[in-house]
Amino acid sequence: MPVRQLSEAVVNRIAAGEVIERPASVVKELAENAIDAGATRVEIAIDGGGRRLIRVSDDGFGMTHADLDLAVERHATSKLAEDDLLDIRTLGFRGEALPSIGSVARLSITTRHAGEPHAWALSVDAGERSEIKPAALAAGTRVEVRDLFFATPARLKFLKSDRAESEAIRDVVRRLAMSRPEVAFTFLEEGRSPVTWAAALPGAHGQLARLADILGADFRENAVEFDQGREGLRIQGFAALPTLTRANSLGQYLFVNGRPVRDKLLIGAVRGAYADYLPRDRYPLLAVFITLDPHEVDVNVHPAKAEVRFRDPGLVRSLLVRSLQEALMRDGQRAASTGGSATIAAFRPALQPRRGWDWRRSTARPDPRGMPLATRGNTAFGFAEVAQAAFDVGAPSANVTLHEPASATLDQPLGAARAQVHENYIVAQTRDGLVIVDQHAAHERIVYERLKAALDKTGVARQILLIPEIVELDEADAERLAARAGELLRFGLAIEAFGAGAIAVRETPSLLGEVDARALLTDLAQHMAEWDEALPLERRLLHVSATMACHGSVRSGRRLKAEEMNALLREMEVTPNSGQCNHGRPTYVELKLTDIERLFGRT
Amino acid sequence: MKVTVERSALLKSLGHVHRVVERRNTIPILANVLIQAENAKLAFRATDLDLEVTETIPAEVGPSGATTVPAQMFYEIVRKLPEGAQIVLEASGDRAVLTIRAGRARFTLQTLPVSDFPDLAAGDMTHSFKVSAADLKRLIDKASFAISTEETRYYLNGIYLHAAGAAKAATLRAVATDGHRLAQVELPLPAGADGMPGIIIPRKTVGEVQRLIEDGEAEATIELSPGKIRFTIGDVVLTSKLIDGTFPDYGRVIPLGNNKELVVDKAEFEAAVDRVSTVSSERGRAVKLALTAGKLTLSVTNPDSGSATEELEVEYESDPLDIGFNSRYLLDIAAQIEGETAVLRLADPGSPTLIQDRESKGALYVLMPMRV
Ligand SMILES: Nc1ncnc2c1ncn2[C@@H]1O[C@H](COP(=O)(O)OP(=O)(O)O)[C@@H](O)[C@H]1O
Ligand SMILES: [Mg+2]
Repeated sequence: MPVRQLSEAVVNRIAAGEVIERPASVVKELAENAIDAGATRVEIAIDGGGRRLIRVSDDGFGMTHADLDLAVERHATSKLAEDDLLDIRTLGFRGEALPSIGSVARLSITTRHAGEPHAWALSVDAGERSEIKPAALAAGTRVEVRDLFFATPARLKFLKSDRAESEAIRDVVRRLAMSRPEVAFTFLEEGRSPVTWAAALPGAHGQLARLADILGADFRENAVEFDQGREGLRIQGFAALPTLTRANSLGQYLFVNGRPVRDKLLIGAVRGAYADYLPRDRYPLLAVFITLDPHEVDVNVHPAKAEVRFRDPGLVRSLLVRSLQEALMRDGQRAASTGGSATIAAFRPALQPRRGWDWRRSTARPDPRGMPLATRGNTAFGFAEVAQAAFDVGAPSANVTLHEPASATLDQPLGAARAQVHENYIVAQTRDGLVIVDQHAAHERIVYERLKAALDKTGVARQILLIPEIVELDEADAERLAARAGELLRFGLAIEAFGAGAIAVRETPSLLGEVDARALLTDLAQHMAEWDEALPLERRLLHVSATMACHGSVRSGRRLKAEEMNALLREMEVTPNSGQCNHGRPTYVELKLTDIERLFGRT
Repeated sequence: MKVTVERSALLKSLGHVHRVVERRNTIPILANVLIQAENAKLAFRATDLDLEVTETIPAEVGPSGATTVPAQMFYEIVRKLPEGAQIVLEASGDRAVLTIRAGRARFTLQTLPVSDFPDLAAGDMTHSFKVSAADLKRLIDKASFAISTEETRYYLNGIYLHAAGAAKAATLRAVATDGHRLAQVELPLPAGADGMPGIIIPRKTVGEVQRLIEDGEAEATIELSPGKIRFTIGDVVLTSKLIDGTFPDYGRVIPLGNNKELVVDKAEFEAAVDRVSTVSSERGRAVKLALTAGKLTLSVTNPDSGSATEELEVEYESDPLDIGFNSRYLLDIAAQIEGETAVLRLADPGSPTLIQDRESKGALYVLMPMRV
């Protein structure tokens, strides 16, 4: 389709605002253009945090002489077929990027279209365009931006340090690279070694490979896939097990129709789905890819196209929560192998023979003086800490002798318990490795799941209030709550409408003890307005159950017999979510025989 | 099964057995007590797989039978029933519940099958002997404070019981140590105990036996094999696994050649150690003993809070000596001495000290010093 001028009407509908705020916005616009041009390889080079130089080269279909001529004019685009802003299938559509960049920097474009005898080049210097000249380029397009904002010194002042700007650029590149695993990306930065993400296969496998390239191998090992569809909406992607988290939501990536966006809907839904596994201040890593009919989502809400608006956010959210929950349940038993690899990492330094190590100074050395006295920690008289002397009562040894495990137990996923060490860790042997279980965390999870199941089965006991509490709310909130009275009753809260804008609370969940009804209702109403469900109440009840679970479970320090350890392992195997404790930490880690062999350099 | 029994008898024996049950369990049946009614007798049994306690009491038994119920809850119910109440326990084969009735109160408890209840399978005992409850209590009480809680030396987590000496001087000896101190207590070897293997009785078992003999039964029967021990004290039978390990050759750490003799009034000494150690911020700080002829100066210095000294008149005639001990260890040992006078035999500030009761030779204690 040729480049053409948009009509006045459409121009005005496009949300106003500056497209180019900082170097990262330039990178984003140019890389998006490359992707829109069907590139299979995109190379991005920057210098000086992008201020001195940004260069994006692609192997896409390029532009004809006529396209190039128009491309740097305001509101010129090849991407809006019917002037229809409701049907957007490309990353770009505003026709604003190239002219905006051209007006604040030194822009030069070299491009080769298959239908042209050779490449063409055009430059724009602070809005002054040059002639289009013939140039040499085999295929694709190369766009170079130098001295960004040199024409608008005021803007320069708002930029952060080169380091901060280049970090913002890397974030943009990472997000785009995650969205297109089938496109190879190379990122070059002055003073850093080049990064290349090779083209991956399309589909989930390639997607995970690319995510692992960017989020780390830990993510690959600890991610569960989810993929669910309903009414033309598909939600797919990879989410970390609750054991791989961060302290902020920056590791949560959302892509809508292939476009990296930010949306608080994601954070809320993820929190809801992980409510059972994680404290509020931990954020699991994940990448969510939502595909839906372009008519169902408005991408034209933000000048930098960084946000979207869903027609039916409730549907998107509930499907997202459902997909995540389903995936976590499915993989709930899986231990985080991060534990394992971290363990291996921790083992390594100890294995390096220390220079200058002398067996005579080793604690493993037999005491040559023998009986009766071996003074440990013998220190200089008068200065050092006082030290308690000890008899030699033999070498320490844990009581690890257990009966030869039954072969059938070895075949169980968590294997056969061989010993308990440090009065809290069960060491179990499996066919192909070793499992270490935190007995307290594991038993706590089991007791919690049991309490939760009981809560589901018997319902929540309700305390009747002597005087019903009348809570005034705004009318919409009150109505929303009243409409959900049935569901709330299931959680032990009995309410009814009390005239316009008021709710009478008659019974509260006895598990919660004394309840501040007003705070609870306000909380609920707010949550329902946003998410359409009664999560805060459920979460509070579960929190109480979790506390009870903690008290009812085997503590660390309790010595367990072989039978008791095996019973715990077997119960873990049949309990949903037993791989994490109520605080999101792993309840066990697994070392594969191959890992152990690697430790000893046997592979 | 149907049994009628008086509350106080039921409460007393449940009190004995339910203590064995761990509060939190990964195996549900271990939270239960086994109830067996037969031949005008009602028996209770509880176990933690290493230790099993059975008690049998007379009762009015209708149809005989057996079942298991949660021990803790059963005990609490009986405890809360009014004194003097006649309690009726009833279980029928077709419903997995036990009904407890007393007056107008009625409870039903969920039961678990008797066949699931673990059996410690004691097997044949190789030795059997009797000791008076008072002797057994002394043997255990005086040694138990020195038992180690350190799991990495699991063979020290109990009392080592064995036959020592020969012929007329043969004794039944109990030894415990945690590597810092050691206690050795002995009695004349009871008939039937000679040739017994040296065994290590786990700490939890030691504690249970201590509680059982507090009730002042006249005599205890001890049976043992290399892997198990059984105490029969009145109506209660306690069977326990033993620690499978080798107790160190403790004899070599007992310093029989120490020649500096310090004789103190036990009560005075104990009180003085306790007083000066008040200034230590934490338990187990060092107390320094400075010895000169006829005089002992106890002192504690705590850089954070201050210092304390106290002088005692003592019997001491050897060369002057300064030595430090953990004050808590000193107090623990002093507490074991029943007589008025304690004898400490010292060598030098880095070697073990031997402590004994001057009046009774049946017990000795060894304590390692601290560097001060
Ligand atoms: N790398 C490129 N390869 C091919 N065509 C390009 C490239 N970059 C820009 N163009 C053309 O220039 C036009 C204007 O680009 P831009 O100002 O970014 O607006 P938009 O991307 O919103 O259409 C695009 O519509 C496209 O036709
Ligand atoms: Mg564009």
